[in-house]
Amino acid sequence: MREYAFFLGCIAPNRYPGAESASYKTAEKLGIKLLDLEGASCCPAPGAFGSIDLNVWYAMAARNLVIAEQMKKDIALICNGCYKSIWEVNHKLKHHKELREGVNEVLKGIDMEFKGTIDVWHLAELFYDPEIVGCDKIRDSVKVPLTGTRIAVHYGCHLMKPKKERHFGSTEHPWWIEEMVAALGAEPVDYRNKMLCCGAGGGVRGYDLVHSIDITNEKMINLKEAKVDALTEVCPFCQLQFDRGQIEMEEKFGVRWGLPVLHYCELLGLAQGMTPQELALDLHAVSCEPFLQKVL
Amino acid sequence: MARTKGYPEALEKKLADTRLFEDERHPEFTKTVEKISMTIPHMCYQCGTCTASCPSAPRSSYRIRKFVRRALLGLEDEALTDPDLWLCTTCYSCTDRCPRDIAPTDVIMAMRNLAFKRDIVPVNFLKTVQAIYTTGHGVPNNDVNRAARKKLGLPADPPTTHGFPKYVKGIQHILDYFELKKNADRIVKEREG
Repeated sequence: MREYAFFLGCIAPNRYPGAESASYKTAEKLGIKLLDLEGASCCPAPGAFGSIDLNVWYAMAARNLVIAEQMKKDIALICNGCYKSIWEVNHKLKHHKELREGVNEVLKGIDMEFKGTIDVWHLAELFYDPEIVGCDKIRDSVKVPLTGTRIAVHYGCHLMKPKKERHFGSTEHPWWIEEMVAALGAEPVDYRNKMLCCGAGGGVRGYDLVHSIDITNEKMINLKEAKVDALTEVCPFCQLQFDRGQIEMEEKFGVRWGLPVLHYCELLGLAQGMTPQELALDLHAVSCEPFLQKVL
Repeated sequence: MARTKGYPEALEKKLADTRLFEDERHPEFTKTVEKISMTIPHMCYQCGTCTASCPSAPRSSYRIRKFVRRALLGLEDEALTDPDLWLCTTCYSCTDRCPRDIAPTDVIMAMRNLAFKRDIVPVNFLKTVQAIYTTGHGVPNNDVNRAARKKLGLPADPPTTHGFPKYVKGIQHILDYFELKKNADRIVKEREG
């Protein structure tokens, strides 16, 4: 059993606890144990904090990294926003001496020091990596195959972009999460402009909601065209934007999409036999019933 | 410097945007943006791939190409006072597609940092700072969610700063070090009274 320090972030534990719960349980079945990262905070939000003062962003993220360094465990996380903060700050501080010294000067006041001894991973990339889990192992863990459902994937931005700072290759038309969806027995569906942003990032959701959900609405139009039963993603902030965003779109634009949105861990949980109650799917703003009826 | 060429008023107005005045340029602005963003905007040849890739461009007057141009011409005031500066969703599509290997997204982030130094910042960004200062979370827990967590067999508060509030002190130290909370409180008070 591999062990990772589980960095929760904000939106998964505080808005979609089902995604958190599913992460522990699904990962355990695939040979990954997620440990508590005691006293971790917001990553902090790369849009909000990065926009105000990048130095604060570095220092706050470094504090979370140091907690994991003290545990001597790599970090695993389930949110693209957290990935940007935690992975990118870890990477930058390891490679820029000046930045690292600046951050350590701040952390000195709370008896912490960034040493650069751990790595950061998104749980989805650990699931996909054949040396750690891989699609075959995912397929073997499925108890309730999602046969007969059409599922589209939203990759989100900060996991894979900017590509020259990441290790995922081209960001124009990736297909690896679709492979993991196919491993659950569902049919992965391609759609127009798949890599378009959900619209929530960069503080835009808070700054101009209508502008933000208009971007989401464009995605919904493209998803509708592809006739999908559900949308899956690997980022609770995108999940919030697509899920609660549909209520906001109904209010502002008068359109009703009714598309269930599930985090990949929730989808995996369903396929591994977790019940909708164990995944707290009733907390979703858009009912998952139509999708569940096809599956269960 | 003469601000008019003596054309008829209507034409002057039309051409107002097309002229560049030396006294509006701040070469140090270009250098500061370059330093913070760790990218080199003056490599830009204004092809517009960034704007074409931008999810915000089709639904607003936000033009990322224009901001990169402003960065390298040193048009500090024009860049920092433009409300469109805050419409970037930081999706990095422009950065991935830029044929000159610039990171326009990071140029925007650097400009936002500089704008904040002049108190130009939308209030929602500051509210996030205030929430994190109190709880350690930008999106804090609530009672509905606590009940749902218990039903799932999870602790009502996650094992973060919520479950262990003693760690909030460390966060407050960092924010106080940069005087971020103080500035956020001051600006919110000025705006909202």
